[in-house]
Amino acid sequence: MAAPILRGVRKVLKHVDFATVPRRHRHKKKWAATEPKFPAVRLALQNFDMTYSMQFGDLWPSIRVSLLSEQKYGALVNNFAACDHVSAKLEQLNARDFVNEAISHWELEPESGQSGPLSPASWACSPNLRCFTFARGDVNRFPPARLGSLGVMDYYLMDAASVLPVLALGLQPGDIVLDLCAAPGGKTLALLQTGCCRNLAANDLSTSRTGRLQKVLHSYVPQEIRDRNQVRVTSWDGRKWGELEGDTYDRVLVDVPCTVDRHSLHEEENNIFQRSRKKERQMLPMLQVQLLAAGLLATKPGGHVVYSTCSLSQLQNEYVVQGTIELLANQYSIEVQVEDLAHFRRLFMDTFCFFPSCQVGELVIPNLMANFGPMYFCKMRRLT
Amino acid sequence: MAAFRRQVLNCCRLVPLTWARMARETACVGERKTMTASLWRKLTTASSRGDLEELSCVGSNKYVKEPECRVNLVLLEKQRAPVDRGSLELEKVTSSLLDMGFSDAHVNELLSIQPGANPQQLLDIISEFILLGLNPEPVCVALKKSPQLLKLSVMQMKKRCAYLRKLGLGEGKIKRVLYCCPEIFTMHQRDIDDIVQVLKEKCLFTVQQVTSILYRCPSVLREEPSELEYKFQYAYFRMGVKHLDIVRNEFLQYSMAKIKQRHVYLERLGRYQTPDKKGQTQVPNPLLKDILRVSEAEFLARTARSSVEEFEVFKKLLAREEDEESESGLSDDKRASLDEDEEDEEDEEDEEDQL
Repeated sequence: MAAPILRGVRKVLKHVDFATVPRRHRHKKKWAATEPKFPAVRLALQNFDMTYSMQFGDLWPSIRVSLLSEQKYGALVNNFAACDHVSAKLEQLNARDFVNEAISHWELEPESGQSGPLSPASWACSPNLRCFTFARGDVNRFPPARLGSLGVMDYYLMDAASVLPVLALGLQPGDIVLDLCAAPGGKTLALLQTGCCRNLAANDLSTSRTGRLQKVLHSYVPQEIRDRNQVRVTSWDGRKWGELEGDTYDRVLVDVPCTVDRHSLHEEENNIFQRSRKKERQMLPMLQVQLLAAGLLATKPGGHVVYSTCSLSQLQNEYVVQGTIELLANQYSIEVQVEDLAHFRRLFMDTFCFFPSCQVGELVIPNLMANFGPMYFCKMRRLT
Repeated sequence: MAAFRRQVLNCCRLVPLTWARMARETACVGERKTMTASLWRKLTTASSRGDLEELSCVGSNKYVKEPECRVNLVLLEKQRAPVDRGSLELEKVTSSLLDMGFSDAHVNELLSIQPGANPQQLLDIISEFILLGLNPEPVCVALKKSPQLLKLSVMQMKKRCAYLRKLGLGEGKIKRVLYCCPEIFTMHQRDIDDIVQVLKEKCLFTVQQVTSILYRCPSVLREEPSELEYKFQYAYFRMGVKHLDIVRNEFLQYSMAKIKQRHVYLERLGRYQTPDKKGQTQVPNPLLKDILRVSEAEFLARTARSSVEEFEVFKKLLAREEDEESESGLSDDKRASLDEDEEDEEDEEDEEDQL
């Protein structure tokens, strides 16, 4: 039955002149017609329910509802846009600069009853940072940032909790600074806002992400300042920094890749909870230890490092810090001391919700009244 | 002239009967003597237009039904003069009402709802309510609240009552509906039909369940059929609530906003899960009554175990999400599916094979 039909078809086809059609879908022959049955966002939530209900107990439900609801942003004022009117404009919206408020608390209540010598330099917050947020319970949104008169944007919208690691790092004028996992660039921008960076090295393994970092720098930092600050952007493997630039930096920020908890509950694309990335996810704590170790090795003795993640997981937070300190002591005979941030935390308690029971470091937990975070950060000093 | 004569004759026919009835009543029950006597006096001195104010001075004694009087009532009804709005008709209507079990106070209230109205129509409509199985007190309250019911024609009323009986709403079940949704008598039948259709054919409730819903959640009659269907689908698919529980918990009476606020809040807190294919959840879901029937304060304290201020913020965020989703035409099923617990060992293995 097929043969006569085929003959007929061939006959017809002889007379037809087909234009060449480009061959599409050369590699992917079949596109999915439906959504995945077990989307990664759902796997992420299941994972969190298992882990965090144990870790946080009764606090978990309020953290969970906050993670699943719209997050709150802060507006990091761009000091390079040269305007006080930006602050005025933000204040008119009923937002206020929480950094300024916290610092004024500091000045009113100096720390007392602390054991050991006080060292103002190491306690100070990084200067010149202005970040506006709406009050507790206020769900208003900031209007998108606008281009100012100097050709740069007036403010940068980011999770306000992301400013805390930069504040805690305590930059001093003239510091040589390393941002080991810099992309997409919010914290890098904050480091530059302090005006303290004699040299800033910003690195991220992924070239596409360093591309984003470059864009942020171009939109916010005028050319002459980028040059003046000797901002160097690289796409190398952060784990190699001990060998590459050992004992070099005054301040190092190690904002490691993590399970990006909040993001993983909303974005399906490139979600680390995809089954195909399971191995990668399980290796994260090891990667994080390696990066923190590299950051510490790249620090001058006496210098400071802040380790930060945007995950709630103890495995990625306290365990990594403690594991790395132990590793450095055992393998490199380098002594690293954790610096207590309790006083720092008290300054910002009105704006953020902190988890009270971290073994080391501080953890901002999301709460509907202050839906920032998660943000874990721990400050260390390399003693030897 | 001829017409007038006829009217007078009619009146004359009426009058003797009325008089006779009154005389017999006076003879029958000694206690009522004072009441009926005074009524008699009032009626004879009343103007031809019927003096309602005077009637209101009638004392509020308890009235006892008398079979004799009922017979007279029937006779009187048959011989009524349609145009006569005089005191006689009023008196007739009054006694009919008293017969049905209304107290004197009730009667006064009823007659004063629409002073210019036809008392006979009042009587007819009230009769239909009584025939539907309602007691005098609820009828009184309902008519006071919704005087527009008295504007219905008797035909309309009878037709509607027959339809309601067909829906299973006779025998006094209609009481709550009458309070909450008196439009059930005045609205177009096709609108009621639309609601009944949605419940029966789209939502697949049984006939008894539909009746139950109508008399327990009369507000469904005010909803758009499509919105009612959406509410049902939300309960059934999104929350995993079955037909029986929807009816028992009077789910359909609550507003969509309230349902979503409380349900989504519980879901995001991790305290409510949509049951999987086998109807199971990892944590036991709170009872529907503890979600919807309780006050907000109790809901937050006992079911959600969360604070008032957090819930206030959540409500604002949810409202904004809804606005934005309806603008972009997406559903929140994506986030909804987060809490379905369908994963078990077998499924997991299948997934990995496919990779």
